[in-house]
Amino acid sequence: MESELTRVIDALPGLVWTALPDGYLDFRIDFFTRRWCEYTGLAVDEAYGTGWQTAIHPDDLPELLECWRFLSAAGEPGEMEARLRRFDGDYRRFLIRMCPLADASGQIVKWCGMNMDIEDRRRSEDALRETERRFRLIVDGLPTLVALSTADLVLDHANHHYLEYFGAPLDELKARGAAHSCHPDDSPGVLAARKEALKTGQPYEIDARRRRADGVYRWFHLCHFPLRDAQGRIVLWCLLQTDIDERRRAEALLAGEKRLLEMVADGYSMPGILETLCQLVESTATGCYCSVMLVDTSGTRLEDGVAPSLPASFIDAVNGRPVSVDSGPCAMAAYLNRQVITADIASETRWAAGSWCPMALAHGLRSCWSTPISSAAGKVLGAFAIYYAEPRTPTAKDQALINQFTHIASIAIERTKGQAALRRSEAFLVEAQRISSTGSFSWRMATDEITWSEQVYRIFELDPDLPVTLELIGSRHHPEDVLSMREMVERARAGKDFEYEHRLLMPDGSIKYLHTVAHVTRDRDGQLEYIGAVHDVTQRRLSEEALGRVQSELAHMARVTSLGALTASIAHEVNQPLSGIITNASTCLRMLAADPPNVDGARETARRTIRDGNRASDVITRLRALFSKKNTTSESVDLNEATREVIALSRKELQRSGVILRPELADDLPAATGDRVQLQQVILNLLLNASDAMSDVNDRPRQLVIRTERDEGDRVRLTVQDAGVGVEPQGVDKLFEAFYTTKSSGMGIGLSVSRSIIESHHGRLWATPNEGPGAAFSFSIPCGPEGVTVAHSLDAIRAFAESNALHVTRNR
Amino acid sequence: MVIPSLVSVVDDDESVRESLPDLLRECGFAVQAFSSAEEFLASDYVDQTQCLILDIAMPGMSGPDLQRELTLRRQPIPIVFITAHGDVTVRPHLIKLGAVECLFKPFSEAALLEALSTALRAS
Repeated sequence: MESELTRVIDALPGLVWTALPDGYLDFRIDFFTRRWCEYTGLAVDEAYGTGWQTAIHPDDLPELLECWRFLSAAGEPGEMEARLRRFDGDYRRFLIRMCPLADASGQIVKWCGMNMDIEDRRRSEDALRETERRFRLIVDGLPTLVALSTADLVLDHANHHYLEYFGAPLDELKARGAAHSCHPDDSPGVLAARKEALKTGQPYEIDARRRRADGVYRWFHLCHFPLRDAQGRIVLWCLLQTDIDERRRAEALLAGEKRLLEMVADGYSMPGILETLCQLVESTATGCYCSVMLVDTSGTRLEDGVAPSLPASFIDAVNGRPVSVDSGPCAMAAYLNRQVITADIASETRWAAGSWCPMALAHGLRSCWSTPISSAAGKVLGAFAIYYAEPRTPTAKDQALINQFTHIASIAIERTKGQAALRRSEAFLVEAQRISSTGSFSWRMATDEITWSEQVYRIFELDPDLPVTLELIGSRHHPEDVLSMREMVERARAGKDFEYEHRLLMPDGSIKYLHTVAHVTRDRDGQLEYIGAVHDVTQRRLSEEALGRVQSELAHMARVTSLGALTASIAHEVNQPLSGIITNASTCLRMLAADPPNVDGARETARRTIRDGNRASDVITRLRALFSKKNTTSESVDLNEATREVIALSRKELQRSGVILRPELADDLPAATGDRVQLQQVILNLLLNASDAMSDVNDRPRQLVIRTERDEGDRVRLTVQDAGVGVEPQGVDKLFEAFYTTKSSGMGIGLSVSRSIIESHHGRLWATPNEGPGAAFSFSIPCGPEGVTVAHSLDAIRAFAESNALHVTRNR
Repeated sequence: MVIPSLVSVVDDDESVRESLPDLLRECGFAVQAFSSAEEFLASDYVDQTQCLILDIAMPGMSGPDLQRELTLRRQPIPIVFITAHGDVTVRPHLIKLGAVECLFKPFSEAALLEALSTALRAS
């Protein structure tokens, strides 16, 4: 039985002992004490009496004994903690529980006690406490705003920074409630997130502005997350509030800068860009007004100023001010290329000359900070100013912002100017390409990537969205030119510059002539790239062809014109005697038919008929002399005789024009070598021109001299001198151009043809103004046996003369 | 006695001045010949002339010039133009300006007489 009880007591989870009521240990030699003895390593006799006290930590013993005495006096059970030395010398904390045993009279006869090892539990409790302590320390020490709240999100604790920021003690903040001090615009979002978090237990993050103790709102990033225990229950919520105001500002600036640059790239006008810049400044530095002024290209005046939040009268008063120290802070800043600060305009004495201060005060401004805006190269582009309605000096932070703004402004202004210049030059290029019908292209050999300018698309009449391929180009080529295109491509593959002319066959069947030139270069990667130009020469080709046609028509016209005049002359010369013949013959018949017949009269008229018949015959003889030759030959020509014949043919015409002709033909003129008819053509032409030149002359005789003479170098010269309108010395050469004419009618072909005739005779035809009114036209041809190089166009004249019919000979 | 109608011939070509008056006289007209328009205007025959045979192209005052001058002087003598230039385009122009006829040299006797009788009917 006893052994059973001993085993039970030994099995109890503690060290069991009994003691005498006086406080001394009662000891019985049995197994109850075995665990105690084993723990302390004390033998039974060592522990007996007060020996057990050696096992108690000396620091704990007095309190233990004191406590025990107290319990003894009260006769109550109790417990206390004390460190108990283990056999190996380590102390461990024990909970010592003791209970008094009383006899029937109530006298305590024994204390029963049990020591429970609580060392492990205490250690973990200590650790927890330490953790908590450290947690608080960390929370308070975090350089950010931290608030802890209970599981149901009631504010419980806030760190030092948190309380300092809001400028209120914890209790007051608790009283303010959820989402206190949030910006009105942000608080609905914050409250909604909190509500959702409370429902789901999920963390959330949100950006919001919160009001600082001084009333300024700053941006915070709120991160609210729950802390859970081992069972996953939410113990508390932790709110981390990180000040992101600087970052937000930087982001806003960056976004503003990006927006500005996009505007620049999109081709917004300068005023639009500057206004956006001002608005960016005003939204970043709250409560300020902003203006931006540019310096004009000459650098002498302010222009294009904008101040979107100030009345137009303000910027109107500043625009156009000279860039100088006297005319205002921005003008001064631009002039000196340094910042000009006016902390209080009311007490400012500068710029009196420009009356700037009264003007600014009238617009409600009290302070102005003007900063020059410079290009990357250091040139002053303009000035940027921040104004406040109250006196103010910029802080270091303000200056940092101003630096950023001037930097952005510089980029925006320079880029806008650059873009505008670029667009202008691009527009020029496009226009030049359009006007000159020239397009440009690039062709990367490695990838066959071909880029066309707009004009090339226009020339090819293709949609500018179509990707350009060699196949596409080939498809437009005239079938006959496809082969030459292939050759060109092969040449290009060999890396040689190329130039070729080809035709396009357009869908409507029309043909375009293109002239393509390309120069080979290497791109940045060292790959072959051709840069080239495509010139639409269709118009030129057509013009050349048209010109060829016009030239042959011209030759024809020249023939017709000259021969027309000649024919009229001939007709007149022949008709005149014919008329006489018929009239005389009629008269003769009448005289013979009279009764009595007037024989004498008839004889006279018959005589006259013969005379007129001879006269007509003479004309025919001269014409035959003129047109009888079959081929152009070089023969000896008596220029005087040839001239006389022309005079005889044109006399009537000249007479009709009221011209007095005075021939001065040299007696001893040597014979020239050439084609008589052609030379006569020239003489006739010169005579008729001279006559025409005098048609408006009424104040002097219409005198015309035709002169032949020897010329230097074995040559003969013929001159036709008129008293007409004359020629301008500088216009002399033009006279010989086809189509040049000083006459109101006429085509101006004659002199051009005449000159080519004389030149084919190795001669020279020229004009000289007279000293008096009029001009002289002369030609000089050799007397030698060089012969004549027959001018092609004149073959046709012969052909005309022979066939007496018009036909066109192509001028080659 | 019938007084013959006076026909004046104005032509710078001497052979015309020789031959044409002879023919006209043979046909029964009285004729005066002048070598220029100026000579005709200066003569005493302007008022008496019932028909003018007038060359177009003459040095100095031309035939049409004389026609214009007579119109200005309100002396509307019927005119028969004669010309050696074969330019038919002048004819309708001259007739529009009031000429009776325009004959191209060489013209036949019949054509001349027909034009004269038209002219004299008009006068």
